[in-house]
Amino acid sequence: MLLFILKRIAWAILTLLIASWIAFVLVHLSGSTPGGVALGQTGTPEQVIAYNESVGWYDPWLQQFFAWVGQVLQGNLGVSLIDGRPIGPDIAKRLPVTAALALGGTLLSALLGTTLGVIAAVRGGAVDRFITILTGIMLSLPAFWVGILLVYVFAVQMRLLPATGFVPFEASPEKWFKSLVLPVLTIALTSAGFIARQTRASMAEALAQEHIRTLRAVGTPTWRIVYVHALRGASLPILATVAVQFIVLFGGSVMIELLFALPGIGQAMQSAVGSADLPFVQALVLVATLVVVVVNVLLETLNRVLDPKLRAS
Amino acid sequence: MTVSTTSILTIRRADKRRGNRLLRSPIAVISLIWIVGLVIASLTSPLWLRYGPLEQDLTAVLQGPSAAHLLGTDELGRDLLSRIVTAAASTLAIATIPPIVAVAITVPVTLWAVRSLRAENVMNRVSEIVMSLPGTVIILAFIAAVGTNMPLVMALFGVLLFGALYRILFGQAKNLQKQLFVEAAAVDGVRPTSASFRHVLPNMSTTVIVQFVLFFGVGIMMQAGLAFIGLGPQPPEPTWGGMIQTASRFIFQQPWMMVPTGAVLALTIIAANSLADVLSGGAATPPPLVALRRTRAEKKATDAEYVVALAPTPVAASGPAEATVLIPAETTTDFDEIVASIPDDTPDSSAPDLTPHGGPAAEGELIVDDLVLGVDGGPALVTGVSLRVRPGRVMGLVGESGCGKSVTSYAILGLLSPGLSVRSGRIQWGGVDLVHADEQALSKVRGHDIAFISQEPSRALDPMFTIGWQLAATVKRLRRVGSAEARRIAAQLLDDVGIVDAPRVLKSYPHQISGGMAQRVAIALALSGSPRLLIADEPTTALDVTIQAEILGLLRGLVADRGMSIVLVTHDLGVVADLCDDVSVMYAGQIVETGSVRDVLMRPEHPYTMALLAADPHAIIDFEGVTRLASIPGQVPLPGSWTTGCRFAQRCRFARDECLTAIPLGPRAEGAGGVRCIRRDEVRGRQEEWRQPVAIGGADL
Repeated sequence: MLLFILKRIAWAILTLLIASWIAFVLVHLSGSTPGGVALGQTGTPEQVIAYNESVGWYDPWLQQFFAWVGQVLQGNLGVSLIDGRPIGPDIAKRLPVTAALALGGTLLSALLGTTLGVIAAVRGGAVDRFITILTGIMLSLPAFWVGILLVYVFAVQMRLLPATGFVPFEASPEKWFKSLVLPVLTIALTSAGFIARQTRASMAEALAQEHIRTLRAVGTPTWRIVYVHALRGASLPILATVAVQFIVLFGGSVMIELLFALPGIGQAMQSAVGSADLPFVQALVLVATLVVVVVNVLLETLNRVLDPKLRAS
Repeated sequence: MTVSTTSILTIRRADKRRGNRLLRSPIAVISLIWIVGLVIASLTSPLWLRYGPLEQDLTAVLQGPSAAHLLGTDELGRDLLSRIVTAAASTLAIATIPPIVAVAITVPVTLWAVRSLRAENVMNRVSEIVMSLPGTVIILAFIAAVGTNMPLVMALFGVLLFGALYRILFGQAKNLQKQLFVEAAAVDGVRPTSASFRHVLPNMSTTVIVQFVLFFGVGIMMQAGLAFIGLGPQPPEPTWGGMIQTASRFIFQQPWMMVPTGAVLALTIIAANSLADVLSGGAATPPPLVALRRTRAEKKATDAEYVVALAPTPVAASGPAEATVLIPAETTTDFDEIVASIPDDTPDSSAPDLTPHGGPAAEGELIVDDLVLGVDGGPALVTGVSLRVRPGRVMGLVGESGCGKSVTSYAILGLLSPGLSVRSGRIQWGGVDLVHADEQALSKVRGHDIAFISQEPSRALDPMFTIGWQLAATVKRLRRVGSAEARRIAAQLLDDVGIVDAPRVLKSYPHQISGGMAQRVAIALALSGSPRLLIADEPTTALDVTIQAEILGLLRGLVADRGMSIVLVTHDLGVVADLCDDVSVMYAGQIVETGSVRDVLMRPEHPYTMALLAADPHAIIDFEGVTRLASIPGQVPLPGSWTTGCRFAQRCRFARDECLTAIPLGPRAEGAGGVRCIRRDEVRGRQEEWRQPVAIGGADL
């Protein structure tokens, strides 16, 4: 088990290095230079070159890359070219926003998705067909559009919730909650489709296993067969889908964050890309990859715990 | 080696060609029309649109739908219809880039990886890393580098989809590669490369096309998303995402604006996903093994076709086992015809011991009376089976695979698969008719009075829970005891079934114990409610010979020590001779001979029983090694193809024309029981003839 975790962590580090290298190369292939961005229109070409030299922009790539890695290892993600503020604390401030959004969205969509999937697999027939159509629509709808519809209904028409904006938890837990309801609901409605389809397929497979007959023969009640045995048997693929959803949401919540004006990672990515804030882009790629690999390591460890066959080996 | 001897009902989508499948599905046709229509409308838009996509009219801003502007106008008075339609062609064209790139990279890589182990290792790692990259963030970083050049950005997106596509294709290609025909091609000297192209690629093509269409939809979604956050084609060029972004800014002033663009975008993606759904053959899933709710027959074989999969096991070791035979539902006859074909055989009074008369069963007695069961909307599988199992007796139910033995045994406890149901007859346990009992009444019988063990011990236990947990949970429920007591009883039960190391086995998971051990555990589980009748469906078929003997000994002990009765389903006459008191021989859904084991095995009166005996290596008591092992020519006729006459006539060496009339279960010539043969008296005692290697009259081979 320990060896397994160490192996996974080695893989995770390799993945992080590769993603960072890709980001590094992309940044260097872009037409922009740090000096050009930081000094803007006001800088003379000489000033720009001087700035670039001061940050080592003309050094060999590998040297630059490992210098950057060294800084990162010391906890220094660099400073923004736009406002000169350190990037690390800025990201740290944004992480809870995106984390709350992704976590809330994942949990709600997992709840909604597994419920729909279980009902479809167990009921079959017309109920199954209806749910299949419903989930098909759910996973086809663009999240940002669903978000606007929800804003229109709950904020514009019913005035129940704020349309956009974010209130930190420390400021007011109630307002924090309200500011997250619509974004989380948007995510749940559009992400639950995938989870529902996976749940349906896995549950159907679990219910077709030979041991279901044994359970039935000793008089096991239907609810117990469905919710204890079949759902437990289907839990691994469902969990994997939920983890994928979380990963997708963490990196891909840009549209939701912009629509609801949430100051998260995605919003930072959008503005950093828009303004060619190169160190910021690089730092965000690192953070997003870190989230993916951490979730993956957690998932695989959890799989080991949940799957008796893996646990034994 | 385990051989499935069970009739399995599967729902199999007709394997039509893809094109047919598309055109037969209204959803697919509508989806295609929508996508193609959108492209045509977009390409021809300069010819028919009343306004250009960039044409501003500041006197008509933020309008709802009107005769002048069918879908309304935006904040600059531009016509929404015109902008939506104009944006369509480029959006859809660019959306084909991710799938093209992904397929172009992944398919060759997959074909390479399946052929070389080294390549497989490398590509598995690469795909793992690609899948661990945060896609959206990498794409945004890429936009920071190359700008909002959509074709280029979408090409990168296609590269990032490699990881996911590789996983899907590799799994499938690996299976295909292993398949016999590819191996055969390798033996024939076809070069591996051309084998990949000729065999693997065509078989993967459906998956590739399905993924292509799915990625096309994702490509549309991604473009709209990027345009929504302002990183798509720059204004004033119309984009769907950009228009939705604008709409979101004017949500308070003109909520209508978000409707048309969003609807067109959503419908286009729905169309793509629906196409993929139809192409992949729909979301077909296996039906549950056991019907969870007992609904009366109402499902018709319309959207999916029922087929009965039968895996006939040759009784004698005569060459390789036959492959699974799939029969399309069309070939089966109609329900009414089947019912009409069921011979009217009221149990004869001269067989008092083994065939029931109607009326309630005695305490601890099982009576199956004229049981008919079949596929809903399909053929009958069992017609008019009657059994009587007295307390403390062991009734063997023998026959080849596909004769309806197992399905009869499932019916007793209401364990039929969905799509199968009892059509008529009774299953009487004491005062309860199990056929018409509701779920609540059944659950009082299941486990408490009647228990069941299945033919695949290693798959009969839930792999996710320890044996101790499963046993204790069942004991707790069936005996209404506390957890500690249930654990104690569980250990005791394992002890009872001859497991010496009970504490270790209790802590084990099913995959950690051997098949023989698993069958002991399954028996212990069956005993947890102290039942009086055990239904054992081929309990030893999947086990080694030495283990078989142990399990049979264990079952014999249950009868001797606990006075349990057993219904033993088997195709092994040796097992019958070993354990049973009475035996019923089933052929093609009906009982052809029944009687005491002694009578039936020593003095068979039905040609089928004779044939089984002659074909059974265990039943030959001839040690000189000169006796031939018979093989019964032909196969068990499939449900739905049964004639009104003797169902064995086609394979019977004694068949005459008179065998084609309906034959009731008559009394035996000797002893109690019944036999279903019109030439009973002529054929009695002629079982040795089955060993002679002659062609059979009337047999079609």
